[in-house]
Amino acid sequence: MDFSGIFSALFNIIGSPYNMFLLLLAVPIGMFFGAVPGLGGKLGVVMVIPFVFGMEPISGAIFLISMHAVVHTAGSVPSILFGVPGTGAEAATIVDGLPMNKKGEAGRAMGAALGASGLGGVIGALFLLAVLPVLRPVILAFSPAEFFLLAIFGITFIAMLSGNSLIKGLLVGFFGLMVAFINLDPNTGIERYTFGMYFLWDGVDIITAILAIFAIPEMIALGVEGGAMAMKDKHAKAGYKGVIQGLMDVVKNWGLAVRTSIIGAFIGMIPGLGGDAATWICYGHAIQTSKDPESFGKGNVRGVIAPETANNSKEGGSLLPTLFFAVPGSSGMAILLGAFVMLGIQPGPSMAITGMDIVWTLIWTLMIANVVAVGMFLLFVPLFGYLSYVRGSLLIPFVFTLTFLGSFLGHRAWENLIILTVLGIFGYFLKKYSWPRAPFVIGLILGPIAEDSYHKAMMLWGPEFLLRPGALTMITLIVLSIGIYSWRMYKKSKQTDEANHSVS
Amino acid sequence: MLKQLFIVLAFVIASGCDRSSDTDSNNQSSGPGSNTSTVAAIDNVFIDENVGYIVTTNPGGGYDTYARLIGKYLNKHLGSENIIINNIPGAGHIVGTNTLWKSKPDGLTLGTFNAGLIYNQIIHRSTLQFDIGKFSWIGKAAGEPRSLVVAEQCPYETFDDLMAAEEVIKVAAAGIGSASYADTKLLAEAFDLNIDIIPGFEGNEGEMSMMRGEVCAQFGTTSSTLPFVESGGGHFVLAVGGNIDGVPRAEDYAKSDKAKGIVSLMTALTQLGRITAAPPGMDPVLLEKIRAAYKATLTDPELLAEAEKMNLPIDAAFGDDVTQLVLDALNQTPETEAIISAAIQGQ
Repeated sequence: MDFSGIFSALFNIIGSPYNMFLLLLAVPIGMFFGAVPGLGGKLGVVMVIPFVFGMEPISGAIFLISMHAVVHTAGSVPSILFGVPGTGAEAATIVDGLPMNKKGEAGRAMGAALGASGLGGVIGALFLLAVLPVLRPVILAFSPAEFFLLAIFGITFIAMLSGNSLIKGLLVGFFGLMVAFINLDPNTGIERYTFGMYFLWDGVDIITAILAIFAIPEMIALGVEGGAMAMKDKHAKAGYKGVIQGLMDVVKNWGLAVRTSIIGAFIGMIPGLGGDAATWICYGHAIQTSKDPESFGKGNVRGVIAPETANNSKEGGSLLPTLFFAVPGSSGMAILLGAFVMLGIQPGPSMAITGMDIVWTLIWTLMIANVVAVGMFLLFVPLFGYLSYVRGSLLIPFVFTLTFLGSFLGHRAWENLIILTVLGIFGYFLKKYSWPRAPFVIGLILGPIAEDSYHKAMMLWGPEFLLRPGALTMITLIVLSIGIYSWRMYKKSKQTDEANHSVS
Repeated sequence: MLKQLFIVLAFVIASGCDRSSDTDSNNQSSGPGSNTSTVAAIDNVFIDENVGYIVTTNPGGGYDTYARLIGKYLNKHLGSENIIINNIPGAGHIVGTNTLWKSKPDGLTLGTFNAGLIYNQIIHRSTLQFDIGKFSWIGKAAGEPRSLVVAEQCPYETFDDLMAAEEVIKVAAAGIGSASYADTKLLAEAFDLNIDIIPGFEGNEGEMSMMRGEVCAQFGTTSSTLPFVESGGGHFVLAVGGNIDGVPRAEDYAKSDKAKGIVSLMTALTQLGRITAAPPGMDPVLLEKIRAAYKATLTDPELLAEAEKMNLPIDAAFGDDVTQLVLDALNQTPETEAIISAAIQGQ
């Protein structure tokens, strides 16, 4: 390995005031695009391309990567405070982040999200470094057969996210799946549940559905019940105290944080799966490996750490196929690829021979930008924490505006606002009668991946696709995961029964 | 630069609300029938006015990139205040194109969409609210040649090998109903290829599938597959509507009337890349003014230099020439219409 090349790349960044200025400028811009619902990193890159055009290739790449890398660092803030996800990938953070906020732990949740994002970003970059020698066989090992089973693996998490009633969880999950099937069937071209309206041809906008299921019900409930988001222990852990506690939570749960960072980077690396799947699979992993899985959804800090690490680490992973195969893993990466070409950087296998100085620079940029983002945000997070105590009557109009804006910006379609309202009312009743809401999002996000890859796998290999080595490995993983989880739940219920007996 | 960035950020928020203010007024009465407009009045049409440029896809990607580049220079040549890119994606370009059709033909709304919608019009798809032949055609910026790429792992070196193949060859395409699927199906029809089209491969997924050895080939735009070929993943075996060094053209293989009809339609469509149109019924004087500004834009040395740096090929055509290309493409024999209908519907 060329160590002098690696460190001269680092010096290229920190030794150049111009490059450092660009990095420091790009980080808050990226965080802005992440924090405002409906914008996201992809739009961010599109908007800054005209400014990057004409820069030196390395400087331009530093600017774009710093911006893109930290989009999810700030996205956790509206998720935790109001249940409003900045991007689709942020939804998993709401499940435990919002209950933490209600318990008066907004600062702690944001601290944990911030620490996890920073750590995830750095590990994502290191993952990129580690996997370089085996990149090609690893990426090519994942075909539609494995995508299908990975999506099924994610869908089994519905059971773990169902809370007290599996039946309720399954019903909500299936409803999410059903909503996911509203579109123009890509395999037959037939309209499904579109009722002749062509804005539904592309399916229900995921951001709109997530805003409807999480943000709208919270605000209606707040309006009905009165008070503020955080009702307990007023000012108990606001300010830096809570934030530092959250950061320490990441250190305490370092094993989980490292694992979910690696899983996130790995899923990010495989083109076609998408970042939204990464955060939910990591969230599911956190529940599976927890000693008290029933505390998830009620404000468990591990439920914030897992998706937030994955959110940032997947960005490092998704750079790999973009840089070395010129095959972008997502639409955001496709735009980044176009921007690289525009700057004079030619992605492809030749990068490994002629462009390694750029690769090292990008890896360092990912790490530095993530650390800088944490530092910058740390200054503001305690202030954001106080928003939890703002009276509902002041907060609701603001959050509603943010929610409707986010829904509209996603596809620039006013029809989204109708879906937002209808699904929002549905979501409120789910909340009111204590039905779980997370399974809906799992169905909505993973359903289309499962459907699409199932069709492709069937057309490519027929039912024998289930016998491919990768598929068999995934099936084993699914069976093991369900088996271990059921066994632990059985043991737990037995212990509870015994405890009840001894008490009586 | 900082100031510019802040302006852009503010614009991102504001642009959420700027969806063409004219979209719901299908008012074509001010069109050619009204003879009140004078050349002098038309000269002032754009002063202090913002011109909306509808892009029928999300930000990013080819349509958006070309629109932003053209918009930047068209503004100068029209004399307008600003050209505002208005992304209206949905239903494979149909939503945005419907919006363009319904806008006022006052010169303040222009747009670009995928000329592949011509396929949908030929088969009289009911969801189209427009007649492509009746748009006020401004011009086109580039051709969009197609090519057939074969993966390196596959044993077929040339198009002749593909035509002679005895076993069924798997070919990746986008979803049924898309222009990419229809193109692939039409190619198979034209040359009686023994292929099985696997639909649902969006973006670059088809290339990944070729690298994994699942599918053997993909038919798509040359510009989008070029990086894959240059990186050694596959090689071109057939070009449609453009020239690639050492690669035969589809015309060379089209012997039957059916093949000739299909190839000529596909070639016509490849000419219509990155088109610009205005709503129907525009005052002819105004239309000529916009066409002249568009021509000045596409021949502006600064634009050409920038396009070259951005790797965006320019192969422009203007006004009536483009209208004629569109009308020729729409005018198909019933036999070709039947083939296209089957191709679009995946039969």
